[in-house]
Amino acid sequence: MARKVLTGIPVSSGIAIGKAFFMNRRLYGSIPRQSIAAHLVPGEQARLCQALAQAADELETARAQVPAELREHSLIIDSHATIMRDPKLRDSACGFIERMRINAEWALLKAVKDLEDKFAAIEDEYIRQRIQDVRLVADRVQSKLMGLARELREIEGRIILMAHDLAPADTVGLEVDKIMAFTTAEGGKTSHTGILARSLQIPSLVGVQELEDEVRDGQLVIIDALKGRILVEPGEDEILEYSLLQNQFELYQKAIIRNCHLPAETIDGYRVQVLANIELFEEVAAVQDLGGEGVGLYRTEYSYMNRMTLPDEEELTREYVGLASSLAPGKVVFRTLDLGADKVVSQLGAIDERNPALGLRSIRFCLQHKELFKAQIRAILRASVAGNVAMMYPMISGLRELREANKVLNIARHELRAEGVPFNEEMPVGIMVELPSAVMTAELLAKETDFFSIGTNDLIQYSLGIDRTNKNVSYLYQPLHPAILRSIKHVVDAAHQSGIEVSLCGEVAADPFCVPILMGMQIDSLSMNPQAIPGIKRIIRQTTMAECKDLLRRVLECRTVNKINKLVMDTIFQRFPEELTFFSSLIESEDLI
Amino acid sequence: MSNEETAQEDSASAEVRVGNELGLHARPAARLAKEAQRFACDISLVVDGQEVDAKSILDILTLAASPGCTMTIRAKGSDAPLAVRSISELFSSRFGEEK
Repeated sequence: MARKVLTGIPVSSGIAIGKAFFMNRRLYGSIPRQSIAAHLVPGEQARLCQALAQAADELETARAQVPAELREHSLIIDSHATIMRDPKLRDSACGFIERMRINAEWALLKAVKDLEDKFAAIEDEYIRQRIQDVRLVADRVQSKLMGLARELREIEGRIILMAHDLAPADTVGLEVDKIMAFTTAEGGKTSHTGILARSLQIPSLVGVQELEDEVRDGQLVIIDALKGRILVEPGEDEILEYSLLQNQFELYQKAIIRNCHLPAETIDGYRVQVLANIELFEEVAAVQDLGGEGVGLYRTEYSYMNRMTLPDEEELTREYVGLASSLAPGKVVFRTLDLGADKVVSQLGAIDERNPALGLRSIRFCLQHKELFKAQIRAILRASVAGNVAMMYPMISGLRELREANKVLNIARHELRAEGVPFNEEMPVGIMVELPSAVMTAELLAKETDFFSIGTNDLIQYSLGIDRTNKNVSYLYQPLHPAILRSIKHVVDAAHQSGIEVSLCGEVAADPFCVPILMGMQIDSLSMNPQAIPGIKRIIRQTTMAECKDLLRRVLECRTVNKINKLVMDTIFQRFPEELTFFSSLIESEDLI
Repeated sequence: MSNEETAQEDSASAEVRVGNELGLHARPAARLAKEAQRFACDISLVVDGQEVDAKSILDILTLAASPGCTMTIRAKGSDAPLAVRSISELFSSRFGEEK
């Protein structure tokens, strides 16, 4: 039996067994306080100055290696180095060493505390948040002072990389051959670590809260990035069991990837389109390698976040044209900006909302910032001649919002025509159905839009009235709830009655337990994270429309979610035992769309 | 920006205006501090009686100077006039930012 089992969010699937190696740790709380003799003061001050200078040198070296397209990263690294070289910070900490006769670590901690007070009084939200940069810088210097900063270079053999968090500077020039798996205490699905791990196809878990308390360097651990678990100091039986599972998984992966370019067609000839959800251009290669027929959901938020200025139309056009032309003839569906007011760059002015999920976000936010919205629409229209492009509005609650959004679209079209800028007049424009009000009015909406895309993550939360990141109620997050299944079916039927297509881009599209039911409803396309595509295609290719329809009929007869879960489990167990082994945790593992 | 530089033997000062759209945020603050660090003289920025060290990015950030805000650059030391001139230029070029 393992000494301890930790849980985290799998961001890149797989299994790894190996020794832990901490690249960095969270340091607050574990910093030693020591009194020092007067004659040691100059030496202690020199030690601090040296650590600051060394840390700054290292960052500047790392910055020189950042590729040009990650300019934002290099600017962040640059400002961190400038903070390390800040005379005020240095003098303040050196002053504490002298006056309080304390060690450099404690003095730096005090200096940062002083700054925290100063920054807390600043009104400007963006500048107030820069204290985070000061903390990151301090962490780096502390680990230097305490001799903790470790270089992967010094290690021989392969390890399981652990960290409090991985910043862009940490991953520059990382020797990936040595890394069997990644895991961090911080982070979510879209964190830098997750994106990196997925692009390298290395198993990865993030958000492992107890990581730093429970794991020490050199300890044997098993990373189970299928179920989202870490086994610390596993027993022999577990090592054996996981070696077998690792083997099986790798064979299974190879087998499904070998066939991933075959069409997603059932044995009795029903064809579904399988598309990918992505948010970075870098993911296009994965989509194509893993058999995605295109992109069913391009999240456009990345260009608007973690930066000081809003992207302009030219920048967005370049991004969108690049994407559309790389994917052509495959399609790409751009979802217009789907951010909460709290997440958009600070220059638009942050607003306080008691309940952001029900607040000014997504299409509502765009309709209040029409210039920003129009600039994005113009960029998408301009990209429409570069490939097979469609656009959709998120979070539409009813006809009025749809018409208001279309008004902005028409102004953008009119402007481009007047300017003689080419665009595809026939570019399909659809809506995401993710609010219960849109489900109930699907027949009306279907008459005024080109397609539907059902966003089940939000639909489930808004329909069942739960926030699944809230631990107290997350057990109620049930994709197979009779209300959800009826809602999806209603939307699919309404779309087909009006002759428009309907896609599903929530994580249930990647869930082997849900896909046969969705097939039974005759969904036209499924859009999912690229890694899930080969497995889902395999299921579709091994099933028949007749059995999917039969399953749907039996599911709709069930009165409770427990009954449905059991029925589906039994069916999958008989038909797709491998999926049950490898993907049984998927329902809980993907992030919110 | 008004550029009435007043230079005595080893001190200089100038009035400048924050011209970039976002004020003195992290990037301009970093550029400003780095530029100031090139000089031997003491350089400070004064806004509404609040005086901070121009060589410190953290000090500059705590000013939270918004767009349009005016401030005085003050320098003391052998290369003070040169320092004030080159920092004034940074302000008038909006720290190399487009807006």
